[in-house]
Amino acid sequence: MNAAPSHGPAPRPPRQPVPVHVVGQFSWGLTLLFVLASLCWWLLPFTGSMFSALVFLLAIVLAGTRWNRGPVLAMAAVAALVWNYFFIPPRFTLHIERPEDVVMFGMFFVVAMAMGHLITRLRAREAALEHYHQEREQLLQARHRAEIAAEAERLHRTLLDSVSHELKTPITIIRTALDGLDAANPFTAEIDTATRRLQRIVENLLEITRVESDAVKPAPDWCEIGDVLHAATAPLQRELAAHPLRVTGTDHLPLLRLDSRLLAQALANILHNAAQHAPAGTDIEIHVTPPSAGPGDGPNLLLHLRVRDHGPGLAPEMEDRVFDKFSRARGAPAGGTGLGLAISRGLMRAMKGDITVRNHPEGGAEFLLSLPVKTRQP
Amino acid sequence: MSKALIIDDEPQMRRLLRMVLESRGYEVCEADEGQRGLQEAAFHRPDVILLDLGLPGIGGLEVLKRLREWSDAPVLILSVRDQEAVKVQALEGGADDYVTKPFGSAELLARLEVIQRRRGTRHTPEITAGPLRLDLLHHEARIADEALKLTPTEFELLKALAAHAGRIVTQNQIIRQVWPGQVSDPGEGLRVHINHLRKKLGDRGLRILNEPGIGYRLEG
Repeated sequence: MNAAPSHGPAPRPPRQPVPVHVVGQFSWGLTLLFVLASLCWWLLPFTGSMFSALVFLLAIVLAGTRWNRGPVLAMAAVAALVWNYFFIPPRFTLHIERPEDVVMFGMFFVVAMAMGHLITRLRAREAALEHYHQEREQLLQARHRAEIAAEAERLHRTLLDSVSHELKTPITIIRTALDGLDAANPFTAEIDTATRRLQRIVENLLEITRVESDAVKPAPDWCEIGDVLHAATAPLQRELAAHPLRVTGTDHLPLLRLDSRLLAQALANILHNAAQHAPAGTDIEIHVTPPSAGPGDGPNLLLHLRVRDHGPGLAPEMEDRVFDKFSRARGAPAGGTGLGLAISRGLMRAMKGDITVRNHPEGGAEFLLSLPVKTRQP
Repeated sequence: MSKALIIDDEPQMRRLLRMVLESRGYEVCEADEGQRGLQEAAFHRPDVILLDLGLPGIGGLEVLKRLREWSDAPVLILSVRDQEAVKVQALEGGADDYVTKPFGSAELLARLEVIQRRRGTRHTPEITAGPLRLDLLHHEARIADEALKLTPTEFELLKALAAHAGRIVTQNQIIRQVWPGQVSDPGEGLRVHINHLRKKLGDRGLRILNEPGIGYRLEG
């Protein structure tokens, strides 16, 4: 029978150095025994040798409640020897003469060792229990915090949904009721305009709340840029009627993976802004640059969309501030909320993209939307 | 005369819808919550049901589910914006189309009209949608008597859309019909074929509209 090739004994793990506090316990233990032994020696004429045995046992029990197992067991052994040497006749020998003293010594030794062992084990169990208890408390607290966070988010969402429902229902009713009125009546047109404005304000306020509370979760899917542009412009038919749209760069564009609803919404706000500020009859240009490698070397490419109007452009002090909430250009037409562009930026950033603006060298404001996308040739 | 059932918790909304529908000759009954809506549907056997998604008590989705256990009456969902996921759930749970509040009455009536067109069993191997005619027997598609050269997949895709012309069809519904059993990122393939199909349909009065996050609608 072939023995498995032997590589010799496994190397022993390096010995852990004895911790300082354990060394301290050894020396304290021996000192304590020395003091107690002296005391008992002095009291021996009055008490007898059994007294010292009990004093030693008491010391071992007390040490066991505080100290490590090693020092306590060592104390027990030393105490047994000390007792034998100094207190059991004949003294100053380890020899024991009387059989009952032998039995006594044996019992003392066993009791001392057993006490030391049991008490230190009890303590170790208590410590472990305490540890588990703390861990459990921590876990419970963490779970509690998570539950509270989830509940807060749910409440926030419910509140938002409910406010949204409450605000939109009357607007819906007015809009639907308006259809029943005579369209030729000039008052009808005024109500219609005001209602649309109110609707935009309400939607913008709700949307900025969503954006600011990180409730916007992008859901990317494959899409065509044409569908995005259609979704962005379809709700703005009325506003864009006076501004011919010139779209370039969309031919031969690959399929893009992005959240088309959010991008369309961001784009719609910019188009609405352009339509408000540029004089009627001027073009609004949208140029799409095929996705190119962005900074970093991830799998994502960077899609760029430029929206240029032929309006007055931005006042120098507004360039940094147009994306701030409630910031409105001087001389801006009434009816805006100052929220549209802030929402656009919030949405773009929720999709890990961004938006910037500059004055075009040949006049008009030019917004640049950039967005990381995946592409696929159709 | 068509009979319409309105299930909405807003009294004013119900009143207004009633006026709009009655002006078009509908006979209208209404319910202010889901359970009653189901009872009314069983009692009146409406030809079309307008169902608000945000009902108190049992929600719109649950009403739809229970309704579909015994009725195939066309259902139009009344929803608000930002409920795309719920709308998709409703459409795949058997709703026929949706309008988003605030809606105009013209849009509402047009949608109602479309979803009431005869559904279910077909007696001819042919689907028509505006100028489009699909011959299911010979797998031929014609627009205004001009033959379209379609691949089998494109034909299936156009069939899925044309069978519900004017109505929204969710992405999953199309995929289940055209690529049964496929699982891996089918949205991509769908976009590719929609793209090709759009090019072949050209500018001849038929448009495939995309509704982000929901699906497609063939408008003729």
